[in-house]
Amino acid sequence: MTETQPGKLQPITWHNPLEPWGADQGNPELTSVAQPDAGDVWRANTAYKAKTYKVGRLKHYVIWSNHGRRLWRRWRWWPTRRNVLQIRGLYNRKTLKAEKKIQDRRPIYWAVCLALLAIGPFVFPASMYNTLLSAGTIFGVFAAINVCWTLILGTASIFTLASYAVVGVAAFVTTYLSMQWGLPWYTLPVGGAFIGLVMGGVIAIPALRLDGFYYALLTLGLNELCRVFFTTTKAFGSASGGLYGADSFIPDSWSPVAQSLLSYYSAFGLLLATLFLFRFINGKRLGRVLRMAPEKREAFAEACGVDYRRARIIIFVLTSAALGFIGGFYATLYRGTAFSIFSFDTVLLGLAMVTIGGIGKAEGAILGTLVVIFLDKVLIGLGPARLFLIGMIMLGVVLFTNNGYFGIKKQFNAWRDKKRGEWRSMRSEKGGEALPEEATERDNKDEVYFLRFDKMQRDFLKTLICPEIIEEHRRQPLGQHSAALERLLMYFRRAPMDDKYALQRNAETGRYKIIAFSGQRGVSPRVVEDREYDTIGDGYHAIFVRRVHDLMEA
Amino acid sequence: MEIAQILSNAIIVAAIYGLIAVAVSITWSSLGLINLGYGFVFSFAGYWAWLTAQHLSEWPPLIAAAGILGGAVGGVIICLVVFIPLHDKPNFTTRGMIGTLAISLIGSQALLMQFGPRAKSLPELFGSWQVDVAGMALTSDKIGIVLCSALMLGVVVIWMKGSRRGLEIRAMMMNPHAASIVGIGIRSTGIYVMALTGAMAGLASVLLSQTYYIAPFSGLTPLIKGVSIALCGGLGSVQGAVIAAMMLGLTEAATSRFLGGQYVLITQFLVIIMILIVRPHGISGLLDKAREQ
Repeated sequence: MTETQPGKLQPITWHNPLEPWGADQGNPELTSVAQPDAGDVWRANTAYKAKTYKVGRLKHYVIWSNHGRRLWRRWRWWPTRRNVLQIRGLYNRKTLKAEKKIQDRRPIYWAVCLALLAIGPFVFPASMYNTLLSAGTIFGVFAAINVCWTLILGTASIFTLASYAVVGVAAFVTTYLSMQWGLPWYTLPVGGAFIGLVMGGVIAIPALRLDGFYYALLTLGLNELCRVFFTTTKAFGSASGGLYGADSFIPDSWSPVAQSLLSYYSAFGLLLATLFLFRFINGKRLGRVLRMAPEKREAFAEACGVDYRRARIIIFVLTSAALGFIGGFYATLYRGTAFSIFSFDTVLLGLAMVTIGGIGKAEGAILGTLVVIFLDKVLIGLGPARLFLIGMIMLGVVLFTNNGYFGIKKQFNAWRDKKRGEWRSMRSEKGGEALPEEATERDNKDEVYFLRFDKMQRDFLKTLICPEIIEEHRRQPLGQHSAALERLLMYFRRAPMDDKYALQRNAETGRYKIIAFSGQRGVSPRVVEDREYDTIGDGYHAIFVRRVHDLMEA
Repeated sequence: MEIAQILSNAIIVAAIYGLIAVAVSITWSSLGLINLGYGFVFSFAGYWAWLTAQHLSEWPPLIAAAGILGGAVGGVIICLVVFIPLHDKPNFTTRGMIGTLAISLIGSQALLMQFGPRAKSLPELFGSWQVDVAGMALTSDKIGIVLCSALMLGVVVIWMKGSRRGLEIRAMMMNPHAASIVGIGIRSTGIYVMALTGAMAGLASVLLSQTYYIAPFSGLTPLIKGVSIALCGGLGSVQGAVIAAMMLGLTEAATSRFLGGQYVLITQFLVIIMILIVRPHGISGLLDKAREQ
C-alpha cells in the first residue's frame, strides 16, 4: 500500500470480485468518488492525547526488606497490642519478596522535633542565648496552653475564646494565695487546677445552651470581664502592671543561666505532660466518641447513642482544670502574672498560634506557637511591625488554607483530585464511546469495544458523505454502487432493530410511508412522517437521506 | 431626679453601642459574617475624623461626615479582603471571624505605627450649652449623641425598607441562597452592607470621641459591648438590638450609680448570661436555624 497523506482524498477503484469467475453482468472495474483514508480516523482515535511526563508519581513510603519469619514480630506500645509505627508486612508485587512498610510516620517526626527542643539549649547561638532560652520557656508554656485550647476547639468543638482567661484567673488567684497564706510552690499548680475546674464548670453552663458563635462572642466578653475585674481590684495589684511575689521552685541561689535552664526544661516538661493529656483525651474514648459527632451531624451521633453534649462538657471541664494547672505553674515559674494575659492582644495572638498550625491538631498548635513566639519574642528588634507581620500571616493562612499549615496536604490532594477530574473530562470525547468511568462498570467488555469501534466507524463514514453519493443513491437506490456508498449502506443495514426505518405500502393507494420499528415484539411500529412516496425507489431514497441525517447529527 | 439621670445616661450609652450592635447584627444576618473588625473600623474612622479636623476644617458636620466616610471605607476594606475571597469557601464562618480578627490586629498595629500610641481628641461637635428639662441638666453632647444616632438609625431603617438595595439586603437576610438564585449578587450586596455598617461604626466612633479619645486600640471596648448587645438582642434582629441596648445601658447606668464603675462589666455580663440562658438565641432571635451555612 502506498503512503497516504492525512486529510487528502484518495480516488478509489472498485474491482468486481466476481469478475475472475466470469461474471456476466456488472462492470469489471468502477471508479468511485474520492474518499479519505480510513487510517486517518483510526490514528486520530487511537492517539494518546493526554500530556505525559517522563517521571511518574512516587510513593514516599519507606519500604525495607524483611525476613518472612520476622513479619509478625513487631514492637508494641506496652501494655497494649498497639503497633509502634503501624508497620505492615507485605509482599512486593513484582519480586514477591517480603517487605515492611511504615504506615504511620508521625511518631518519628514527633520524636525528632521533641528531641530538637530538648537539646535546644546546647545548640543555641551564644549571641542570642538568653533571648532564645527565655523565648523557649514562654514557648513551652504557651504551647501547653494552646494544646489544651486545641482540645476544646477541635475535639470538643466548643469555640471558646476564654482559655487565656482561665489561665490568668488561676495564675492570679494562686499568686494571691501564695502571697497571703505563704503556700509553697508545689501546691500552686494543684490549686490552679482546682480553680480551673471551678471556672470551667461555671463557663460550661452557658455552653450547654448556646451554640457556636454565640458562645465565642460570649467568651470574648468574659475575657474582657476578667481583665477589667483584675485590673481594677486593689488586692490584685491594680496599681502595678501585675501581681508578683509567689513562691517559686527556682532557687535564688542558682546562677542566672542555671535558673533559665531550669525554667526552660520545666516548661518543656509541662508541654510533654500536656501532649500526653491531649493524647489521652483526643485519642481515647472521649475523642473517638466526638469524632462521630462533628458539627451539624450531632443528630446522627445522638441517634447512634452518643451523648455528645456530656462528652463535650467533660472535655471542657477537664481541659479547664489543665489550663488552671498551667496557670498555677505559670505563677510559680514567673513568681506571678502580668495583666497582659487578659488583654485582647493575647487572645488574638493565641488565636493566631492556633490558626497558623491548623485548628484541631496538637502539632498545629505547637507549630503555630513556635512561629508566633519566634516573631514576637525573638525578633524584638522589629518593634510594632512584628505584630503586624503576625497579623498578615494569620490573614494569609485564613484566606488561603482551609485548616492551617497541617491542613495543606489534605487541601492540596482535594484540589489535585478536582483538577484531575477536570482534565479527564476535558480529554474524553463524547459521541457514543464509553467514558473510562463507565467502562469499569460494564460487565461485558465487548460492549465497550463495540462502542469504541462504532464511534470510529461513524467518524469515518461521516467523511464519506458528499452530494455525489446522495445523487448516486437517488439515481439507483438498489443495485451496484460505488465503494463509498456501499460502505454507508452496509452500515445502515446493520443497525439494530429498534427505531430502524422501513417502508409501509398502503394497499389501497399503492403509495409508501416511512415507519420505524419498535424493536420489541408485539409493539407496532410508529409512523415517522405523513408524507407519502409514489414509488418504492423514492421511499428508499427518503429513508437513506433520513439515515444520513441521523448519522451526521449523532 | 436620680432615676431620670440614670435613664438619660442609659439612653446615651444605648445610643452609641446600639449603633455598633445593629451593625454587627445586620452583617451577621445578611452576610453570615461575624465581623470582629469593627474595633479597627472604629479607630480608623476616628483617625479620619481627627485628620479632617486637623487639616481641613473644624466644621462639625464635615468632621462627622469624614468619620462616617472613614467607617464606610474601613468596612469596604474588610469586605474586599475577607468577605469576598472567603464567602464561598469551606468553614466560612470560622475563617471569616478569624480573618476579621486578623484585620483588626493588622489595622490597629498599622494605626499604631502611623500615629503613635498617644490618644487624639476631637473638637466638640455640639458646642457646650445645656438645657434644663424637668429639673435635670442635659448637656449639648448628650442631646447631640442621642439625636445623631437616632437619625442614623432612622435613615438606615428607612433605606433598608424603602430602597432597592435595602430590599436586596433584606432578601439576603431571609434566605441567602434563594436571594442569589433570583439574581441578587452576594458580593455587591456584601459591599453595600459592609459600607453601611462601617458607616454606622464610624458615626459611633465620632460620637464616642466626644467623651473618650481616639487611640489605635480604642475600638475594642465599643466592639465588645456592641457584640454583647447584638448577642443579647439576638443576632440578626434590629429591634432586639435596640431593646438589648436599652437594657444593658440601664444596667450600666444603674451599676455605676449604685455599685461603682468597676462592676459595670460584671453586672452586664450577668444580665447577658441570664438572658442567653433563658433565650439562647437572644431576646428576639428570629432566625434560630435560618442562617445556616
